[in-house]
Amino acid sequence: MKAFKLENEPKITTGFKTPEHYFDNFSAKVLQQVNEEKEVKVIPIYKRKKVLSLLTAAVVVIALMIPIINNYNNTSKDLDEDTLETYLSYQSNLNQYDLIQKLDTKDIQELSKNVAIEDETLEDILATNPNIEHLISE
Amino acid sequence: MTDEKEFIQQLLDPKTQNTAFQKLLSDYQKPLYSHIRNIVLNHDDTDDVLQNTFVKVFQYLKNFKGESKLFSWMYRIATNEALTFLNQKAKLNGLTSEALQNKTIDNLKADVYFDGDEIQIKLQKAIVTLPEKQQLVFKMKYFQELKYEEIAEILGTSVGALKASYHHAVKKIEIYVTSN
Repeated sequence: MKAFKLENEPKITTGFKTPEHYFDNFSAKVLQQVNEEKEVKVIPIYKRKKVLSLLTAAVVVIALMIPIINNYNNTSKDLDEDTLETYLSYQSNLNQYDLIQKLDTKDIQELSKNVAIEDETLEDILATNPNIEHLISE
Repeated sequence: MTDEKEFIQQLLDPKTQNTAFQKLLSDYQKPLYSHIRNIVLNHDDTDDVLQNTFVKVFQYLKNFKGESKLFSWMYRIATNEALTFLNQKAKLNGLTSEALQNKTIDNLKADVYFDGDEIQIKLQKAIVTLPEKQQLVFKMKYFQELKYEEIAEILGTSVGALKASYHHAVKKIEIYVTSN
């Protein structure tokens, strides 16, 4: 087979055609598109602004919610001392004995440190208390 | 060159803009059409890409620094638009760029806006086997008959490199056509 040489061949055209009058209408089409583009230009900026303000609003709302969420967690988990005391003394069925049962050595040591009883008071109590013997024998 | 500067001024001035853009369109629509058509191959796609090219030219005109000629700047936009279009279309169809081009060439036979015969189809098939840069150089040199200097400005390469590219392209095409 004879080797094909591009330069020996007559010029090969692309063979591409365009529709009739294509170029007559083309510039009008582009000009219209360009002018539309000019007019529409306002909208994207407005849209962008709208999106931006929505975003800001969302961020502000979230920021405002942070302390509420934190507080909610605090109140739900940790009871403050007053509430606990009120509950224990008025609402529960716990009596002194139940409480004493729950005390360990460390608590008792703490208690003896805090409650400094003078000797006289102790004598008074011992003298006035009729059940003292019963307590001692226990 | 001063004429060109003046023309660009007219394109930017809102008062003369429309008339100047009209002139730009009538001067460049045909060469740019051929350039894009050679890359994307079918008429409808060329029509889309050509419109986008002119819209982009219009939008970016204010950024045109005049470092290169208006002519090569517009060709560069057209080339980018056409290549981007091809890649997007290939991706959309799940094909490689080469497979898409081969498919388009097969469809050319039935295209009403194509009156080539066997040799044209064979030449197009041979071009598809080349690397992208060589394809561009070959099409611009052989079909559009642009000067090496012009192609160099459009593609941003040296004339020497272009000549080598064209030479390689011609060799590969001749081998392909001979053996097919």
